[in-house]
Amino acid sequence: MMSFPRPLPLLGLLTCLAAVIGLTGCKKPFSDRAQDVSVFRFSDNGAPVTMDPVQSATQYANLMTTSIYDQLYEYKYLARPYELKPRLAEALPEVSEDGLLYTFRIKKGVRYSDHECFPGGRGREVVAGDFVYSMKRMFDPKNLPQGEWLWQGKIVGMDEWKKTGADYAQSIEGLRALDDHTIQIKLNKPFPQLTYTFAMGYSSFVPREAVELYGKEFGINPVGSGPYVLKSFTTKKAILMRNPNYREEFFNLEYEGYDPKKQSGLGLEKLDGNRLPIMDTAEVYFMKEEMSRWNSLNKGTEIHYGVIPIELTHMVTENLKPLKLKPDYEKKFTAMNLPELGIVYLYFNMSNPIIGHHPDPEQNRRNLLLRKAIRAGYDWPQRNRRYYNGIATIFPGTIPKGLDGYDETLGNESVTPDYEQAKRHLKEGGWTPENLPELDYNSVAGVRMTQLYEQFRGWMGKIGYPREKIKFVQYATFGDYNKAVKQKNCTLIGMAWGLDYPDAENVLQLFYGPNGSPGSNSSNFDDPEYNELFKKSIVMQPGPERTEIYRQLNKMIVDQVPAICGLSRNTLTVWHKNVVFLPSRNPHGSLLKYAYVFEDSKD
Amino acid sequence: MSEKEVIVGRESLWTKSGRKLLRDRAGVAAMVVVGIYGIIALLVSFGVIAQDWDKLGEEGFEGMSAAHWFGTNINGQDIFARALQGIKTAFQVGVVVAISATAIGGILGAIAGYFHRTIVDEVIMWIYGCIDAIPFYLFVAAVAFALKGAEFTVPVLDLHISLAPYAMHIAMIATFWSSTCRIVRGEVIKIRGLEYIQAAKAIGVGPLTIIRRHVMPNTSHLLLVQSTIAFVGAIKSEVILTFLGLGVKEGVSWGIMLSESINDVLRGHMGNFLGASGFLFVLVIAFNMFADALQDALDPKKVSG
Repeated sequence: MMSFPRPLPLLGLLTCLAAVIGLTGCKKPFSDRAQDVSVFRFSDNGAPVTMDPVQSATQYANLMTTSIYDQLYEYKYLARPYELKPRLAEALPEVSEDGLLYTFRIKKGVRYSDHECFPGGRGREVVAGDFVYSMKRMFDPKNLPQGEWLWQGKIVGMDEWKKTGADYAQSIEGLRALDDHTIQIKLNKPFPQLTYTFAMGYSSFVPREAVELYGKEFGINPVGSGPYVLKSFTTKKAILMRNPNYREEFFNLEYEGYDPKKQSGLGLEKLDGNRLPIMDTAEVYFMKEEMSRWNSLNKGTEIHYGVIPIELTHMVTENLKPLKLKPDYEKKFTAMNLPELGIVYLYFNMSNPIIGHHPDPEQNRRNLLLRKAIRAGYDWPQRNRRYYNGIATIFPGTIPKGLDGYDETLGNESVTPDYEQAKRHLKEGGWTPENLPELDYNSVAGVRMTQLYEQFRGWMGKIGYPREKIKFVQYATFGDYNKAVKQKNCTLIGMAWGLDYPDAENVLQLFYGPNGSPGSNSSNFDDPEYNELFKKSIVMQPGPERTEIYRQLNKMIVDQVPAICGLSRNTLTVWHKNVVFLPSRNPHGSLLKYAYVFEDSKD
Repeated sequence: MSEKEVIVGRESLWTKSGRKLLRDRAGVAAMVVVGIYGIIALLVSFGVIAQDWDKLGEEGFEGMSAAHWFGTNINGQDIFARALQGIKTAFQVGVVVAISATAIGGILGAIAGYFHRTIVDEVIMWIYGCIDAIPFYLFVAAVAFALKGAEFTVPVLDLHISLAPYAMHIAMIATFWSSTCRIVRGEVIKIRGLEYIQAAKAIGVGPLTIIRRHVMPNTSHLLLVQSTIAFVGAIKSEVILTFLGLGVKEGVSWGIMLSESINDVLRGHMGNFLGASGFLFVLVIAFNMFADALQDALDPKKVSG
């Protein structure tokens, strides 16, 4: 006898099938994403833990805050050397003759993105009072601010406001909103870099309503007036959508500093006249694993922008300087060698008398010779070849090329290994393998760090430093390591510094005595002559006299050896051919608003 | 058989086992390989060979040559010398962990077995049950974290020894003893019912003396086998833990070499990978075969046949 399936289970089965088909149909498969030109998919090698501007110390956090919030200034997209332009400000500030009074006028009619924190859910106008409030937040210890040091001791009454309990109702003499569109800042002493600091994510305009609505969760619920609003955020990915309230802003190729000699061939001309942000959606993928990031990029249907992992340079590139990709990759990617505005160091902890400052002048002299010997054994060119593809820039002193104060006449002796010279220094200082001190080489744990340590120990072996006297002290995380550095517990400290703004003051302050740990001076170098000269330089406007002082300070770093420096890294960046983009790291903030993805067939 | 078998006396378990082990060709071959590794470990420890393992070469990533059998790594260091140093590290960890874990497991197992169905037995079983329940690698990570900054102090000598570098050893010992304890306990439960133990009890010999003089010697064959298993387990775990960044912090180990090889292989340099995994593979295979042969040779049921 024939039997028929009962209707109810069959109906259920068909319903399920329809649901499955429907659901899978909703999701855009990866194969289609290659043609999806409505989204720019950026990637970075780490994720922010917060998007609260007062804690935007990392490049990842800064990327997000400068995408979502407005600052007074930003850097021109294409101009090199870097050049400031107004963002929320109407123009560059009016500065009094004595350099102590700054007046900033902000654009009228700029509105925050629509949000429930505002009455009626409609974003209100950005006013000067928001800036005063935001700066107060930076000095309020409850917010655990990380950028306070930028303005500490510089704005009249700011530090006192903090000391007296950080009461937001209390006004500050040096920080005032004269009206809704005028901000006035009064300084204790001239601070020519002040305008630069207002291009950093730290100085974002934050609406009080959002902070009060979210409380401690404000860091993951940003509300700003920048080009994008945050649609979603995880530790893997952030989705940014065009801020519908964003003001009318159009890209002007010439104004942005386009240089046809150096920048032609990148398609930047296509950007001219476009309204910003160009893309409706920008997705930021946080990909710590370099190979995953590369695979995602190389696949062609996932991220648009990434870097070539150092392990694959031989497979992907034909030449590194100038960068040229192999034909297969040349067809897919536009590539650029991206130099960092920063420096890699090995600090000596000068507060440790076994290697640094010593009250006994004779021992102090011997310690200096020991540091000089270690530096003479330090092989920057080899490190560059082995760990930076040989394309990093090595330079003497602490001021990188391209900055005011960089001294071309400074010889390369301090960055060239000379083992005989090292041995002479040791002999002159009366150092023998028996009396050389035990040194701790401190670093974050990891294979690469272990290799760097072994390389360093190998160099020291060449100058006669006993192997067993150079110990490797590892820390599980960068946080642990940084904490030990700030507590002055480390002897040899490998670090890198990315400049916050394009002024050599930002690297010279790393050796200013009063900035010693837990401040930014991790070497704890404290030389009265250096301190005096630095204090003199920081109140000076750019000019030949200041340049000369910068050079003197730089020379003192070379002579006194509180650190072995320096090297600036280069990154091999690549992006898809159907994307117009010019990557840059610090001092630029987010560049997402300039990215343009187009259909291959059209162009 | 035409020849008469002449019985010259009663052979001990050890003599019979030794004879049987020597008849096992695979076991003997494995023993020779392990012996060669052991000799290399001693030569490296006494500074006879492979002392230039951290010497920097002029160029990194050199290929295989007469001077560098496995080539060089990114720092131009000889990979073969580093692999030989890895044998020393592996044996140091293996010996310390095997001896300590077997001794602890053997003693606690004998006590638990002798005091079977008493509170002592229950407590020991509860402890090893708890330890076995914790995932090994999480346990090591927890121990390493707990020992960060911990010191072993000898007040009389004013000696302070940091325990952090030994976190891996301590964690392995703390986990590896439990299997030995379980096996020995089972054996002792069987032994404690035998006549000679009953006789010793009857003439008033104390329990600890009975355990020390009459019980433990009869578990020695188990301890030997267990120690070989612990040894090879410790070596494998050391490599895995070091690869994960939880093991050896200073010096060189096959785990460190394998970690380095992650980047090297992508660059097309296989030296670190081949060196470390090859040495590890041969040693583990040889030790496993040796442990199997030893187990067969010492099995009383097979030996007495």
